[in-house]
Amino acid sequence: MSDLADNPKIPVGYLKAWQPGLITAVTPECMVYSSYSMLSGGSDGVIVLYDLENSSRQPYYTCKAVCSVGRSHPDVHKYSVETVQWYPHDTGMFTSSSFDKTLKVWDTNTLQAADVFNFEETVYSHHMSPAATKHCLIAVGTRGPKVQLCDLKSGSCSHILQGHRQEILAVSWSPRHDYILATASADSRVNLWDVRRASGCLLTLDQHNGKKSQAVESANTAHNGKVNGLCFTSDGLHLLTVGTDNRMRLWNSSNGENTLVNYGKVCNDSRKGLKFTVSCGCSSEFVFVPYGSTIAVYAVHSGEQLTMLKGHYKSVDCCVFQSNFQELYSGSRDCNILAWVPSLYEPIPDDDDEATTKSQLNPAFEDAWSSSDEEG
Amino acid sequence: MNRRRRRLASEAFGVKRRRAPGPAQADPLRAGAGSAREAVEALVRLFPRGLFEDALPPIALRSQVYSLLPDRTLADLQLKELQEQGEIRIIQLGFDLDAHGIVFTEDYRTRVLKACDGRPCAGVVQKFLASVLPACGDLSFQQDQMTQTYGFRDPEITHLVNAGVLTVRDAGSWWLAVPGAGRFIKFFVKGRQALLSMLRRAKYRELLLSELLGRRSPSAVRLGLAYHVHDLIGAQLVDCVPTSSGTLLRLPDT
Repeated sequence: MSDLADNPKIPVGYLKAWQPGLITAVTPECMVYSSYSMLSGGSDGVIVLYDLENSSRQPYYTCKAVCSVGRSHPDVHKYSVETVQWYPHDTGMFTSSSFDKTLKVWDTNTLQAADVFNFEETVYSHHMSPAATKHCLIAVGTRGPKVQLCDLKSGSCSHILQGHRQEILAVSWSPRHDYILATASADSRVNLWDVRRASGCLLTLDQHNGKKSQAVESANTAHNGKVNGLCFTSDGLHLLTVGTDNRMRLWNSSNGENTLVNYGKVCNDSRKGLKFTVSCGCSSEFVFVPYGSTIAVYAVHSGEQLTMLKGHYKSVDCCVFQSNFQELYSGSRDCNILAWVPSLYEPIPDDDDEATTKSQLNPAFEDAWSSSDEEG
Repeated sequence: MNRRRRRLASEAFGVKRRRAPGPAQADPLRAGAGSAREAVEALVRLFPRGLFEDALPPIALRSQVYSLLPDRTLADLQLKELQEQGEIRIIQLGFDLDAHGIVFTEDYRTRVLKACDGRPCAGVVQKFLASVLPACGDLSFQQDQMTQTYGFRDPEITHLVNAGVLTVRDAGSWWLAVPGAGRFIKFFVKGRQALLSMLRRAKYRELLLSELLGRRSPSAVRLGLAYHVHDLIGAQLVDCVPTSSGTLLRLPDT
């Protein structure tokens, strides 16, 4: 990435790559990437795997679907797939959870369901720790108020975390500590748990930081509505939450303090989880939040809204950031997944006198017409 | 000379290259204030004192400060500093969870004393203004705080509620309030609705700011068009679109 910026001769300037026609009747509900491949789960239960490498070197390219778990597969989910996740350590396995009350563990090579966890309620979200080496627990958030932890090694639910009062809309493990889990619920609370502890949660995030003077209700809540989405920053030091009170808050994940960064109104009328994402590896991190048919980009630490990415025709359901390519993938109800690539500008010459004859155009767009009238 | 440098990665996700800022805009309301204090002073000048016969301290809203200072986090921080220094008080206005009114402490104090002048609660109110206001900068007060820390008895607290200085929040806690602010809140809510309906009836649900300010103010808008426009912009109830003819206010699609 850095040598692309240093060397101005390579044509850059593509902003988004279209992938029409690949996803047939599916709306991507959730996506997750590995180094070069991406999984997307759709609202009809289909899961598709894409290969993200752009070997064609064209500015506008299409990523091919490598394989898919289609409607005719015997183990396919019956209802909408809410969350998919690669196994954190390699792409040999992935997990998917769906509204049909199951969490399935798939073998990528054979595309068979290796294991199924059944639950009593619909599953809204699941997450497996990306950094953990000592455990293979998958945290599952369902319509019930209890967070269940399923162990991949033993194949059963190992324990339950009690503390929320309504459905759990999002769960996320900390990328920094193996055993720290954050859960967001419709009862306006976000809890931070250490799963080794038997007694209750570590912290409940309080938007007023303990000062009861401003709160309308006395209970400590993270938002004034349901908490829809959770995302840790890539270093795990901060946690972002969005709620149906149209606010996004940034928390210090070690002590649960609200950093009071004000992002303004972050519209959120999703009744289930809002899947937003944070960039990784940028000099100042960005957060990408789906907003209607666009994606709003905010700077994480300053709260400024930088831009809105427009390109989808219908509402955007999910987005995910790929740190290796520094690309953002967004899936929407119009059955498209778009890849957003940062556009790099040619460096503006420092010296104004130097005439720049180098063409600013991408050579793919240059034509062979001669501008001179004399040439025969 | 060194202005023209390679752009930082923070601009990498912007779709359009940003233009260099042009000459000072002709728009009347959009010239931003430098700091939160100046913003509050400018907004306080927009408040129509004559409408309330000078019985109310000039109230600005937090959303109006956001309209003048686009960096919200910085605005929040500066307002918090002003609150801690005791220069302003933040009042919960009640019609919206986020609607916080900002008054200068001095204005508040003089108006409250004038309002309860001659009434039986005057002594208690003076005691409250002298002891509680400088000590506690919060928006609300709890029962034990009032009785133990500041030594108010229950009948005295009832006097304060009757005088309009405290409003009941729930059992055992009270918001700080401005006496007589009910009329202000009524005018404010009606004015906001009237302005939003003006935008809704406009073609394409958008109006140039200069045209909106030039229109005759509807009868429901008693606090002034400029006052309400700042609030709408800061509360993000309208989108501000910069155009070559000035700022355009557009109602969001949802």
